Amino acid sequence: MAKIIAVHSYKGGTGKTLLSLNLAVLYANRGKSVCLLDLDFRAPSLQSILKVKNADYWVNDYLNGVCDIKKVLADQSKTHAKRGKLLIGFANPSTEAIREMSAKDRKWEMKALGRLLSLKNTLLNDMHIDYIVFDTSPGLQYSSINAIVSADLVLVVSGMDISDIKGTHRMIDELYELFEKKTGLVMNKVFADFLSSKGHRQELAKKLMNNSNLPMVDMIPCYCDVLRAGGTALFANENPDHPFIKILERIADTIEKL
Amino acid sequence: MEVIIELQKHSSKVKPTPEIPDVLDVMTLLSLPDHLRKTAITLCKLEQATAEEVAEQTRRARAVESSYLNQLVLMGYLKKERRGRKAYFCVDKEGENKTWQK
Repeated sequence: MAKIIAVHSYKGGTGKTLLSLNLAVLYANRGKSVCLLDLDFRAPSLQSILKVKNADYWVNDYLNGVCDIKKVLADQSKTHAKRGKLLIGFANPSTEAIREMSAKDRKWEMKALGRLLSLKNTLLNDMHIDYIVFDTSPGLQYSSINAIVSADLVLVVSGMDISDIKGTHRMIDELYELFEKKTGLVMNKVFADFLSSKGHRQELAKKLMNNSNLPMVDMIPCYCDVLRAGGTALFANENPDHPFIKILERIADTIEKL
Repeated sequence: MEVIIELQKHSSKVKPTPEIPDVLDVMTLLSLPDHLRKTAITLCKLEQATAEEVAEQTRRARAVESSYLNQLVLMGYLKKERRGRKAYFCVDKEGENKTWQK
């Protein structure tokens, strides 16, 4: 069973952060201990959505070897989880930190991979966390590939854009398969018309799967409510009966079986 | 003017090329042949291990893993250390064994 889930995509804006956050909250609401880490150092987002203004330590500090992971994790259980435990590690959103992270050399990236890999032991074994969710940077870059190598399962989110679909195909062939990674596909922001019949859904799934044997985990329609909220509402808590959350519940179930 | 250009060309030729350590990062992992990648990733996860411990994870023969680990040492990505009768392998984090030129 997958314990470490990396949510990744070829292009930006596919909904990785929204999916990662709501998925983490759903698992916590089921009574699980969940740790969500923002690994998108080029465009940190979780702190904006959860209205966190400052943190003593960021995920950047952990990867820099400045502190251990416990100091980075903010306990958001009381504010954002109905049951269970929700620990979140934020990425430093300051321009200086973003610039610093983008200038790291290969030796640093190699050490960062080691630190990400060691989370399995610290979080799962020592701290008894049930699930670790990595919200990653889009495309092929060090931070996202480090996250993919460290994960048990990669959840790849694609939109309907042809460049996104083709890019996802390339990543399946040249990234996830090379690392022998368990991978699940999610298509997000799909026009409702394309999901109107079983035939349409199968056709769309085939387009993204592109002869690979990877499981099509789910297809999420484009919901105006979700777009209208503009990332300000945590749907898993504020609107748990919304169809978007019902689909995420289904995704959470599927991941447990993968 | 031409003399200056020639001098500039010459100085750019003799200027030492900065050396970049070739380390076992994810880009290197991607470029390795499949059989060595599996061994290298397993060692990254274990941090430090014998060929037998790597073989337990990859479910390949100990002798096979021993050969792959030694190849990775020769390539400069791993370090080998003998302790008693056992040989331990770990990732060369300083990139001491090998460098490549830009």
